[in-house]
Amino acid sequence: MTIVWTRDGIVENDPWMTAEGEAEAKLLALAEALEHAQDNAAFGVVLQPADDVRELAPLLDRVAIIALTFPAFSDGRAFSQATLLRDRLGYKGELRAVGNVLLDQVPLMLRTGFDSFEVDHAPTIERLTQKRLPGIDLHYQPATDTTLDGQSYSWRRTAVING
Amino acid sequence: MKTKVLTANRLTDGISVWLGADGEWSVALKDAFLARHEDAVAAIEAAGKQALADNRVVDVNVIEIEETEHGPRPYRLRERIRAAGPTIDYVQAPASNVSHAA
Amino acid sequence: MYRYDEFDHAFVAARVDQFRDQVERRLTGEISEDAFKPLRLMNGVYLQLHAYMLRVAVPYGTLNARQMRKLAHIARVYDRGYGHFTTRQNIQYNWPKLSDMPAILNELAEVEMHAIQTSGNCIRNVTADHFAGAAADEVADPRPYAEILRQWSSVHPEFSFLPRKFKIAVTASERDRAAIQVHDIGLQLKKDDQGRLGFAVWIGGGQGRTPILAKKIRDFLPEADLLSFTTAIMRVYNLHGRRDNKYKARIKILVHETGVEQLSREIEAEWAHLKDGELKLPEADIAAINAYFAPPEFGSRAEGWGELAAWKKSDPGFADWVGRNVAPHRHPDYAMVTISLKPIGGIPGDATAEQMDAVARLAEEFGHDEIRVTHEQNLVLPHVALADLEPLYRALLADGLATANSGLITDIIACPGLDYCALANARSIPVAQEISNRFGDPARQAEIGDLKIKISGCINACGHHHVGHIGILGVEKKGAELYQISLGGSADENASIGQITGRGFEPDQITDAIETIVDTYLAERTGPEEAFIECYRRIGADPFKAALYNSEAAAA
Repeated sequence: MTIVWTRDGIVENDPWMTAEGEAEAKLLALAEALEHAQDNAAFGVVLQPADDVRELAPLLDRVAIIALTFPAFSDGRAFSQATLLRDRLGYKGELRAVGNVLLDQVPLMLRTGFDSFEVDHAPTIERLTQKRLPGIDLHYQPATDTTLDGQSYSWRRTAVING
Repeated sequence: MKTKVLTANRLTDGISVWLGADGEWSVALKDAFLARHEDAVAAIEAAGKQALADNRVVDVNVIEIEETEHGPRPYRLRERIRAAGPTIDYVQAPASNVSHAA
Repeated sequence: MYRYDEFDHAFVAARVDQFRDQVERRLTGEISEDAFKPLRLMNGVYLQLHAYMLRVAVPYGTLNARQMRKLAHIARVYDRGYGHFTTRQNIQYNWPKLSDMPAILNELAEVEMHAIQTSGNCIRNVTADHFAGAAADEVADPRPYAEILRQWSSVHPEFSFLPRKFKIAVTASERDRAAIQVHDIGLQLKKDDQGRLGFAVWIGGGQGRTPILAKKIRDFLPEADLLSFTTAIMRVYNLHGRRDNKYKARIKILVHETGVEQLSREIEAEWAHLKDGELKLPEADIAAINAYFAPPEFGSRAEGWGELAAWKKSDPGFADWVGRNVAPHRHPDYAMVTISLKPIGGIPGDATAEQMDAVARLAEEFGHDEIRVTHEQNLVLPHVALADLEPLYRALLADGLATANSGLITDIIACPGLDYCALANARSIPVAQEISNRFGDPARQAEIGDLKIKISGCINACGHHHVGHIGILGVEKKGAELYQISLGGSADENASIGQITGRGFEPDQITDAIETIVDTYLAERTGPEEAFIECYRRIGADPFKAALYNSEAAAA
């Protein structure tokens, strides 16, 4: 079973998830997305770790969702891609983690700007459903997410606890 | 075919263990079940997979041993050291090596 | 030294809880070993040949007596009564249980210690000059910056799944005692011509399969830009470092394959976006961290001068030890003392719980409660009054910690090797022991002079053999151990990678081979004032190769 999760819970009828049995992918690869620049319809993009996110800059206002790929959970390139999309390109739309998405990386993904997650690992789905994330709310560095000042050194932050 | 045994490390404490004939894991290589035929090797491999799935052990490996009069002796030095422990006297007695001038 | 504030305590406590949860999920099988492995590595837990291994961080090699006592306690209660100090200034335990890890980490947290990021593909312990804060030749103490980097790199969400491990070292003098040129990032604290503090920045150094010296990419980076510039380096590395081949994944390969000019341009381009942002370090923050590293009150202890002279005269053993293991401090009445963890015939870098307790006690009594771990696997008391050297020596003698061999041939650096390590191809400790015993005679050692032997049991080079004056690499050939020798490596400011001499040596030949090399040096040197490394650089490898290989043919 594959689900899409956000901080608000499991998403029903997500328009961008390719359900089992469906032939056509809903998200475009980067090269295809660049070709679609002429179209007016909103579209979704899925990037691979080696893609340069800056190439999306001219299309950002038309992109409905960007998915970044974790082909293996050890491949951390998408954390930097997410950071650049949010901080450098000012992307405000939905940013989804796809691929090998495991519970222990989700807090880091949230901090680097991801807001939705496609998950097929059962124990991860279980914990996400219970909203029991293993993150630490005290941060030693600023990241993309909105936080409170750490109230001491300039590099520290505290997570916004919104329940 | 060289005789084989199954070895792994216990999940809880990481200690090296070998699969015995009774299906239990022993900390002594000499207790290992000796797989001398294809069928036996297949059986220990299956047992290893199961033990991994049961979260009893990690890093499961089939290794080749030589049957000697002193018991099974792994062909690889690495496995011999795993079986016997560090080859050095690793807890030094204090004050046993005292500096002295010429 | 740095003291945890409420934030630090809360963070480490949360981290322990997080890991406890992860261990529980592993033990019940909720997460597989594959998924658990990177998590346990980021908490310093390895699986070795015989058991798990826990690597505890000693940030920039600094600890106090209370912490050392805790390390002794952990050795005693959770392990087999000893620990091993490493070439990255950390400590390793060889027999802890996974099920005990949360308890061990709790105990460490009580004394402001942890095992966070001592392994895994993340930013590791930031190491520093072990004489920081005491050496006369430093521009300023580099450790506050190591502390800032340590904090900032802790559970960094963007940089926790790098292509490979990442190691940073900091020094603050022209003399490099932290081996910065063989680190992924090397930093040298310096002043510009207006007296402002900043760093020379090197990237892409490393050992392992492909030893490479770092390339300097910045002559002067103002101190306020430390975090933003490091972020730029890390981001470029994270995005472009190779992910297809574990042995080509360090930043040194990226530098080599991209070219340092090109890579430097990419880093500068990224940094341009970051330099005036939230990562810029306010002066007040630097000053606040600096304040933790204010040196202790060094009262005048001028009586030490006369006392020292008298003791040396009456006790040749003491004189020997002072000559080798005691170095001048920036305060004239004090000294920096090296506590050798290399007893003749002993296991390099190992200390028993009793010895750790002894060092803790002596640090309190004679050392202003400060201890250092060196990347050469010894301990240091950086602030000892000359007047206290003799009672300190007596106490060290009683605990087997007074071997007068700092920097000598028996001050060997050796990784744990095949006796412990799952990655090893050959044993290193028995080789170190045999060499140490062969050359143990103090007169012989004195005659040979400064000579660093570094031994690794596999190509990962944790024993730093590439930068040994004599390096020894254990390999496996046809199922047996074989030892390759390299010559002329150096980890100081005149860094160099050693050159392999030729065919390797079997375990029963390696010590003779070392003796041949030493004899060649003694025969060829201009005099005792020409150290081994200088002699090698003058005469080259050929005389050594001839002695090693031609004479064998002749003797056969």
